[in-house]
Amino acid sequence: MDGHFRAFSFVDRITSVQAGSRVCGTYQIPPGVGVFYRPLIAEAVGQLAAWASMAALDFKVRPVAGIAASIELLAEVRPGQTLELAADIESVDNEAVSYCGTALVEGKPVIKLNHCVGPMLPQEDFDDTQAVKNRYALLCNGGAVPGAYGGVPPVNFENVTSEPGRWIRANLPIPTSALFFDDHFARRPVFPGTLFMQKILELAADVAINIPCTNGGAWTARTIADGKLRTFNPPGDYLDFEARVAKHESDSLVIVVEARKAGKLTGGAKIIFSAEPKA
Amino acid sequence: MSNENITQAEITAIFPKVAETMADALGCDLADVKPNASLINDLGAESIDFLDIIFRLERGFKVKIPRGKIIEDARGALSEAEFESGGVVSEAGVTRLKSFLSEVPSDRFPSPLKVAEIPKLFTSETFCKMVIRQQKNVPTAA
Repeated sequence: MDGHFRAFSFVDRITSVQAGSRVCGTYQIPPGVGVFYRPLIAEAVGQLAAWASMAALDFKVRPVAGIAASIELLAEVRPGQTLELAADIESVDNEAVSYCGTALVEGKPVIKLNHCVGPMLPQEDFDDTQAVKNRYALLCNGGAVPGAYGGVPPVNFENVTSEPGRWIRANLPIPTSALFFDDHFARRPVFPGTLFMQKILELAADVAINIPCTNGGAWTARTIADGKLRTFNPPGDYLDFEARVAKHESDSLVIVVEARKAGKLTGGAKIIFSAEPKA
Repeated sequence: MSNENITQAEITAIFPKVAETMADALGCDLADVKPNASLINDLGAESIDFLDIIFRLERGFKVKIPRGKIIEDARGALSEAEFESGGVVSEAGVTRLKSFLSEVPSDRFPSPLKVAEIPKLFTSETFCKMVIRQQKNVPTAA
């Protein structure tokens, strides 16, 4: 398990924690990593909330997958930058944790998570409890050495069909192996929900690009709304995605993306674009 | 909570919005969300969907629904020990549940009934009633 606490871990240090309420931390995006997807910033905030919620329940349970009412994508980040993370735990018990949170770079917000809920499942099903406790102690006492994350391998759609500007359908083969599976999770590898959201963003953007934008501007994804991952997607799974326009106005565009596995809904989100001047 | 405090007219009034919420959360056709449809057995709901549906209902109806509210309300005045033992619902508990979940046909109650199986009984109408209770903010004593 070379990737455990390395390949998909996005909290370097927990700087303050008020049991069951607010937790703060940091994460430095490794300078050498080529790209850092925006949903991974949300992953960092979510992981921070997960640490606080697990600690509040003595690490017997952990949040896995979940729901996000909205994730506001406020600004891009660059490799080398340090994320200042904060999460407010709204409630936590053996069934679920609900929280909101933010990530800032140099004092400016880059992402905001609103009303997120993560179902709690037995820790032992996913990881070694003592190893998780030890990691938490490390993060709270000096922190881990930054730079462990080395990026994720490309996970590409196939069999793409579309009616340009209206809908796109595509299949996503989940890799049968990848280093991030060592870390997500050690005992039960599943495709991370935030990488799932990244693929949703990509498909939505592929629909948006064929829709004319006001005044020659460009559609920019600003909110992931009603994001949800219903089921675990283990290595080797095969998902059917569909993205379609739900609402189109002069200055905003909503694209709904759903993913199914053998016909059953496995997750989805609404991507809200705003018309912005081209960079 | 006595069921007589909730009228069929009240349920009918909010059902379309509740059904739409469920169809959105479950990714199923709106037409499949019938008042007596079992969320798990008929609509394929997973445990996370219950969290999602409650979350959406809270936002849609501007009410606060504490997690575990249905089970808590279902137990009514019965203590936990009176309601269940070893994960199995007692006879008194089943009687209480049949009254509380009056929208669920009797033949859907397995015998014995495990506590973990209670969510399988929940129908769309169960959630309508939950919303109405929270709107009225009425006490839930049996």
